[in-house]
This record gives sequence, structure tokens and C-alpha cells, in this order.
Amino acid sequence: MDALSKLPEEMDHLVNSFLSQAIVGDTTVGFTQYIFWMFVAIALLCVVIFVFKKKQAASLAPKGLFVNGVEYVIEFARDDMCKSILGDTWKKHFPFIASLFFFILFNNIVGVIPGCHPGTGTMGVTTALALVSFVYFIVVGVKRMGPIGYLKSLAPEGIAFPASVPLWLIELFSTFLRLITLAVRLFCNMFAGHVVMGAFAILASLFVEPLLQSFTVAALPGAATSIFWMLILIVIYAVELMVAAIQAYVFTLLSAVYIQLVENE
Amino acid sequence: MGVIGYGLGVIGAGIGIGLAAFGATSSMARQPEMQSRLFTVFILGSAFVEALALIGFVVSLIVK
Repeated sequence: MDALSKLPEEMDHLVNSFLSQAIVGDTTVGFTQYIFWMFVAIALLCVVIFVFKKKQAASLAPKGLFVNGVEYVIEFARDDMCKSILGDTWKKHFPFIASLFFFILFNNIVGVIPGCHPGTGTMGVTTALALVSFVYFIVVGVKRMGPIGYLKSLAPEGIAFPASVPLWLIELFSTFLRLITLAVRLFCNMFAGHVVMGAFAILASLFVEPLLQSFTVAALPGAATSIFWMLILIVIYAVELMVAAIQAYVFTLLSAVYIQLVENE
Repeated sequence: MGVIGYGLGVIGAGIGIGLAAFGATSSMARQPEMQSRLFTVFILGSAFVEALALIGFVVSLIVK
């Protein structure tokens, strides 16, 4: 197959285009394309929230698809993530949980639009998000139990002194592991999803190329295969839409669970 | 080599998602009224497992 021989080269090109590239400055200090799309997502989020506030204030009962839709998502975040996990203390943590959820959700959804990049598709943004969540639950724990009390609470209760030391070390390690897993999970889902979508888009275009260059009967089977790749691309696109919502949910849910762990010690 | 490594890594994730689906379907069959809640938990569980496979995918792409 002639078309398949070009695939590795195109894939390298695709993966390189997904790595962070600086628009201003360089990748250490500067402004990459992912940060640009993150700001686009933030702007979109601000617009949605302010329009929602204005429309909601206009009438006592929620009216119209937009207001009801946004309210539904907010209530989902409140009931499904906050109330069911955090219990009585949900009110204190709801602003944090909700802003985390909406920020990630909007970033992911902006990324699914063809031509855009997700703000969460780079390690920098996801690590920052994970760090925020990490610092938040540690601060909550330290506020509740004091610094020494928090460190002590890492070891599970009801275990005698010498045996609890290795357990404490393992728990400490797993606490820091949460930071890495939160960041890597979100980044990998976004990055891999876009690479897979891009791969099928490349396949579709490679197989239809001979037909566009010269209309011959020999090129027709290739074009027919291209339709098949397009169908797979559409299915994967639908899956990616789902993944965008699920990953925002998973990240926020885990943050809520970590907060609950320190709240209920 | 990276592709072979990714294939090996995905075995575990495949077993994991399979087990999650097995548990979800058999418990849905026992208690159909719990279906919607079980489905959310199943999606959540498979998202965790899937993340492991995706880490392998991304690492095999980035690290040459």
C-alpha cells in the first residue's frame, strides 16, 4: 500500500505539532499555543457565567434552555460531587470544586472543536491544576488538625507504634503520588485522544489523496477505504466528547475525595 | 520496541476494563433499578483503568 508508507512520517509530524510550541518567548518562559487556548477557554467560561448570571436575575423562575442547562450542570456538580462525597461540609468546599470542574470542562470542550487545542493538553496546565488541588487538601487538613496532627493522621488508626512507621511512609508516598496521578491522568487522556483523532484524520486524507490528484479507477478503492476511516473518526470524536466530560468529572471527584479524607479524619 | 511495550501494557488495562464491565453487567442484571448509578460508577472505574493504558500510549509516542 502506497498510502500507508507515508503514515509514520505524518504521525511524527502530528505528534510534534501537539508538543508545546512557543508563540512568544520560548517554552520555559513564554506563551505556548496551549496557554493561548487556555485563555480562550477562560474567556468563554467568563462569558457563559456572566450571561448566565444576568439571565438568571431577569426572572425568578429559570427560563429557557441556556439558564436551565447551566443550572443543571451546576446542580450536578453540587449534588453528585459535593454533597454526596463531602457530606455536611460541602458548602465550604463547593466554590473550589465547582471552579475546578468548570475550568477543566471548558478547556476540554474547547479542545474537541476542530482546529483548537485543549488547554489541558499540556503537562504544565494539568500539573498546576493538580498542585492547586494538592495544596488545597493539605491546607484543609492542616487547618483542621494542625501541622503535627495532619502528619500523624496520615498513618491509619488502630495500629501499634512500630508497625505504623512503614505504613506512615507508604501513606506519605501515596499522598505525593496523588499529585502525579491527577496531572498525568488528565494530560494523557487529552493528549492521547487528540493523537488518535489526528491519526484517523491523516489516514482518511492519505487514502483519498490519489483520487484527488488524478481521477482513475485504480484510486477508487482507496477512496472507499477513506470513508471507513471517516466513520471511525466520527465515532472517536463522539468518544472524545464523552471523555472530555468524564475526565473533568474524574479530576474533580478525586479532588473532592481527597478533601473528604482529611475532613473526616 | 515502544509499540510492543505499549501492547504489553494494554493487556492489563484490557483485563481491568473487562472486569469492570463484568461486575457492572452482572450487578445490573441482579438489580435493574440501580442501573443508572452503577453505570456512572462503571464509567468512572473504566476511566481510571483507561488512564493507565493512555499513559503507556503517550510515553511510547513521546519517548523515542
